[in-house]
Amino acid sequence: MSLLAVNGVSKAFGSLQVLRDVSLEVQPGQRHVIIGPNGAGKTTVFKCITGLLPADSGSIAIDGTDVTGMPAHSRVSLGLACTFQKTNLFSELTVEENLHLAVTARKPYRFRIWKPLSWYEDLQRDTRELLQEWDLWSRRRHRVDELSYGEQRILEIVLALASKPRILLLDEPTSGMSPAETARTTSLIQEMPRSVALLVIEHDMDVVFSIADYITVLHHGEVFLSGPPEEVRGDERVREIYFGGGARPHA
Amino acid sequence: MIGRLSGRRVPWPGVAVLTLLVLLLPLVLPPFGVGIATEVFIMAIFAMSLGLILGYAGLVSLGHAAFFGAGAYTVALLGQYVFNTYLLLLSATAVAALLAAISGALFFRSTGAYFLMLTLAFSQVLFAVAFQAEPITGGDDGMSVVAVPDLGFGEIVGELGLYYMMGFAFLGCYLLLRLFVASPAGKVVKGIMENELRMRALGYNTFSYKLFVYTLAGAMAGFAGALYAYFNFYVTPDLLGWVLSGQALIMVIIGGVGTLLGPALGAAFFIVVQNYASFYTEYWALVLGLIFIIFVLLGRGGLMHLLRAVWNRTLPSRFREREDEMEPEEPAAEHQKERTP
Repeated sequence: MSLLAVNGVSKAFGSLQVLRDVSLEVQPGQRHVIIGPNGAGKTTVFKCITGLLPADSGSIAIDGTDVTGMPAHSRVSLGLACTFQKTNLFSELTVEENLHLAVTARKPYRFRIWKPLSWYEDLQRDTRELLQEWDLWSRRRHRVDELSYGEQRILEIVLALASKPRILLLDEPTSGMSPAETARTTSLIQEMPRSVALLVIEHDMDVVFSIADYITVLHHGEVFLSGPPEEVRGDERVREIYFGGGARPHA
Repeated sequence: MIGRLSGRRVPWPGVAVLTLLVLLLPLVLPPFGVGIATEVFIMAIFAMSLGLILGYAGLVSLGHAAFFGAGAYTVALLGQYVFNTYLLLLSATAVAALLAAISGALFFRSTGAYFLMLTLAFSQVLFAVAFQAEPITGGDDGMSVVAVPDLGFGEIVGELGLYYMMGFAFLGCYLLLRLFVASPAGKVVKGIMENELRMRALGYNTFSYKLFVYTLAGAMAGFAGALYAYFNFYVTPDLLGWVLSGQALIMVIIGGVGTLLGPALGAAFFIVVQNYASFYTEYWALVLGLIFIIFVLLGRGGLMHLLRAVWNRTLPSRFREREDEMEPEEPAAEHQKERTP
C-alpha cells in the first residue's frame, strides 16, 4: 500500500482552476519529486495534502487512512510534515526555542500548564540531537532573523523533521540558495534515512535528478507525466514545457 | 544562587519580592492609601488577565469587562442565597470561564478588528441585560452586595482584612500566570501568536490552545470581578461596559504589553493617578489620556520597559537581566550540560 495517495484532487480559487484531477502516490522511503513551470499548482497540491487548504474534490489518504476532511494538525500525527517555500519560522525566537516548539508538538505534555517547558529533559535532549545532527548547535542562542538565509532554509527542514515524520514534504528546499548552499542541502537530503519518504517540489534540475527516484510533471494544474527519472529526462514534451511553449525555464 | 532550583531558573525571586511588598506596604501607606492599594490589587488581576491574551496570545479584546462584570454580578446575585465565600468566588470564576469559552469558540473565526468588534458587542449585550433586567439586577442603579467575605477565620470587614485578602489573591494569580507562560502550553500559545500557520503545520491544534488561554483570561477576570463586588459592596452595569474594558487596555499598554507584571504596574499607575488627579481636577480622564498618548508615542515597552532600562543601568552587570520577564530559561544550566554531553 502506498504511504501517501492523492486521488483526483481538484482545487479552484474563484473562477481560477488551479488543480484538475491530480493523482499521485508516494511509496515508503521513496524520493518523489514534483516539477513543473511556475503556476502549475505544485504548492497548492502540497497545501491540499497537508490540510492547510481544503481540496474541492478528490481524496487524500495517508497509509490507507482517509484524511481528506481531517484538520492539518491531525495529519501530522499520522506522520506527515512539511516545509514552506517561503521561509516560515518563528523569527523573533532563538533557534533553540524554534526547535522546542517543534519537538513539543509530539510530546504528551504539550497541553500541560504548570512545569516550565525548559525543565523537560527529553525535550532538551531531542533538541540537542537535532541541532547537532544538522550543524546548528553553535547557532542555538541566535535569533532566527540573525541566521544566514541558507541556515534558515536548513532550520525550516529541521523543524519539519522534529515530528519524526514518515512522509516529509519539501517545498523548493534550495530556492534562493547560493550554489554552495544548494550543493550542501542536496547532500543533506540525499543522506536522509530511507525511513522517511520525501515528496519534493524542486526547480533546479541538477538537484531534481540527484535526489529523485520518481518524478511527477505538473502542467496547468494537471499531471502531465509521471515516471522514473530516465523516462522523464528523455521525454521531448517535458522539454517542450520547460524550454519551449512560452513557459519560463528555471533550471 | 537565589532563584535557582536544581540548576534551573524559577520565578521565586520575583514572587518573594512581591510577597514582601504585599505584606509590608500597609506600614508605609497613608490611611486612605490602604483602600487604594486594595483596589489596585483587584484591577491588577483584571489587567494581568487581559495582558495575557493581548501580550502572549495576540488577541485584542475590547470587551474584557464582560467577564469582570459577570463575576461581580454572580457574587451580587448568588450572594443573596449563598454565603460561603469560596463557593461564591468559585461560581463567579466558573460563570466567567463559561462565558469566555462560548464567546471565544464563536469569535475565533474572526481576527483583528472583527474580533475586537465582536468582543465589544458581546460585552454590550451583557451590559444591556444587566441594564434592562431591573427587577433582578436593579437596572441602571445597580444592586448592593449583601455577601460578606469570610475565608474560614471570621468575617473580613476591616480595611486591612480586605487589603490582605486582595493582596494574596493577586499574588496567587501572578504565580499561576508565571507558571503558565513558562509551561509547554504557555510556550505553544506564544508560538501561535508568532506564527499560527507554522504551528498548525507542526501539528498543533491552534484553536484549542487559543480557546484555553481565552477561557483562562476570562476566568481570571471573573475572579477579579468577584473580588471587586466584595470590595465595593455594590455593582452597577458599568462593570460590564466598554469604558472599563478600554481602561483595562490602557492599563496593559501603559504597563507593558508582552510582560506579566507590566499590566499590574499599569493598573497601579492608573488607579493612583485617577485617585490623585480626581482630587485636584474633575478632568482626571484628560490627564490619564495625555499620559496614555505619551506612552503609546514613546514606544510599546511601557512602564515595565522603563523600569528594566533603569534597572540595567544602575546595577552591576552580573546582576543584570535576572528579572527578564520573557526568558524564564537559564542559559547557565545549558552550559553545564554542554560540557558533559
